[in-house]
Amino acid sequence: MIHRRRATMAAFLLPAIAVYAVFMLYPLGRGIYLSMTDSLGGPIAHFVGTEQYRAMADDPDVTAALWHTIVYAAVVVIVQNGLGLLFASMLFRRPQVRKTLSVTLLTPTLVSPVMAAFIWSYLFAPDGGINALLGLLGLDSLEHVWLGDTSTALYAVAAVNIWMFAGYSCAIFLAGYMNLPTELLDAAAVDGANGWRRFRSIEWPMLAPALTVNVTLSLIGSLKVFEFPLVLTNGGPAGSTETLTTLVYRNVFGGGKFALGIAISVLLLVTVVVLSSATSSLLRLRERRI
Amino acid sequence: MTSQTLSPETGTGGAAPRPSSDPATGPSKNTPRRALKSLGTVLLCLGVLVFVLPFVFTVLTSLRTAADVARSPLGIPHTFTLKNFSDAFSQIHYGRSALNTLLITGLSCLSITVLGSLASYPLARITQGWSTWVYRLFIVGTSVPVFVVVAPLYLLMRDLNLLDNYAGVVFVYTAMFLPVAVFFYTSFIRSIPTDLEEAAALDGCGALRTFFTIILPLLRPITSTLLTFVSLQVWNDLIVPLVFLQDPDKRTVMVNAYSFIDPHTVQPTTLFPAALLGVLPLFLIFVFLQRHVVAGMSAGAVKS
Repeated sequence: MIHRRRATMAAFLLPAIAVYAVFMLYPLGRGIYLSMTDSLGGPIAHFVGTEQYRAMADDPDVTAALWHTIVYAAVVVIVQNGLGLLFASMLFRRPQVRKTLSVTLLTPTLVSPVMAAFIWSYLFAPDGGINALLGLLGLDSLEHVWLGDTSTALYAVAAVNIWMFAGYSCAIFLAGYMNLPTELLDAAAVDGANGWRRFRSIEWPMLAPALTVNVTLSLIGSLKVFEFPLVLTNGGPAGSTETLTTLVYRNVFGGGKFALGIAISVLLLVTVVVLSSATSSLLRLRERRI
Repeated sequence: MTSQTLSPETGTGGAAPRPSSDPATGPSKNTPRRALKSLGTVLLCLGVLVFVLPFVFTVLTSLRTAADVARSPLGIPHTFTLKNFSDAFSQIHYGRSALNTLLITGLSCLSITVLGSLASYPLARITQGWSTWVYRLFIVGTSVPVFVVVAPLYLLMRDLNLLDNYAGVVFVYTAMFLPVAVFFYTSFIRSIPTDLEEAAALDGCGALRTFFTIILPLLRPITSTLLTFVSLQVWNDLIVPLVFLQDPDKRTVMVNAYSFIDPHTVQPTTLFPAALLGVLPLFLIFVFLQRHVVAGMSAGAVKS
């Protein structure tokens, strides 16, 4: 009887496996194969081995996009989680405003990336909100064409990403805070440990799991960023905000370099898998040491 | 993972261990510390304000006339109008595209939760080599960006005649989010004791009936969490409908907003109402489901 039960249970897996295999695993395998052909998307494709990858390595656009993606991810991971942690630790110490403010901080998360990009493209415009605000504060000298300057565009795009998800980081850190054993915090308070001391020697080490989750999620999310650079700058100015995803999109659906675009997407996959698994295993190791 | 650990609010209002009246520190030490703390609260409120200011600004600007905004972008509004909204409404074909998005989001949510929960039951309960293997295969999917499969998926959809077809988009979303659903459900079911199921099995209850009468009702909290996550992602997504739905009548809000509005040439009085219309339906729903949203967004964040 148990045996038949097992068989029925195993059958529950079939619909999910079917959809997953056809629309995820098969395209994944076919993509890796197509990256080794000269396919243009049509029925004719010849196997060319590593030719696309060699072309990719020689293509300055690809190396630039890889670099932009990594810089973008580093800025987002550090600033977004720094802000999230700051907000969370301040909110944790203030239970009377905690709920209202943490929910308020989450509102940007509900906006779609496209809509957030719409709002910020105006705020960053030469005659837009940020410059008007700077003028109002008498800081005219800081006014800037934020999205039109190759030295600031990538950071401006990252700022929108940070604005959208800092509240999310904060919520995860707050959840971590809520799991701290109260006895330990009480004991520290009785021993006269002040705020910074308590943070440094109790909260920071005990927030390790929340940090792992936050860093891993924001790393994966920022490595596959697409809508922000697409809508805000469309990769410009002078390609300074071109990331791996926008380059994949451009090559596959616009440039006629179908197979090269797929090869870039494999590069994206490798980047995401290598960086995220390295980071999360390092952070897990750190968790165990603490 | 238990439902309790999913919500950062569980501790709110309860026994929050704040040493506002430390027994160890005297009143003389307390006064400057308290002053510092209120200063911190003020700064915190200001910081949060900075985060919502773009929203307030967006709402205010979309209610002003173009001429008024052009005169002073940050000035005090003199006149209010709803015309911007009606303009944006027709410009991004809102009625039609909102219905399309709703349909796609609803169907995707349904298929992800149904297939995901069904698949997770055996994955959580059968402890054999092959089931761990299948589980791992699903989890691999959580780190595959959609951009990696988008080109071969396009070819597949073309061959299957699923381009410009809602079913195609729903299949893509189902495959994309099944890994997340399987991860959520499997770890949740593992935390449910097997006693009830064993009793049911002894009474001759088959696997299917056990699933529907015992497991499924218990999955409600994690399902609402998952639904929040998935509906946000699907509603707000651009790339999948942009690639797979080219028929203007089938496009979603995000695609229409993206293709009809160029933020670099369009005025804020058109841009902002369009942005607000895009998020409005989800926003309204989530105001009512606030608790689940917060839980859903920090789901899986903390292990206990």
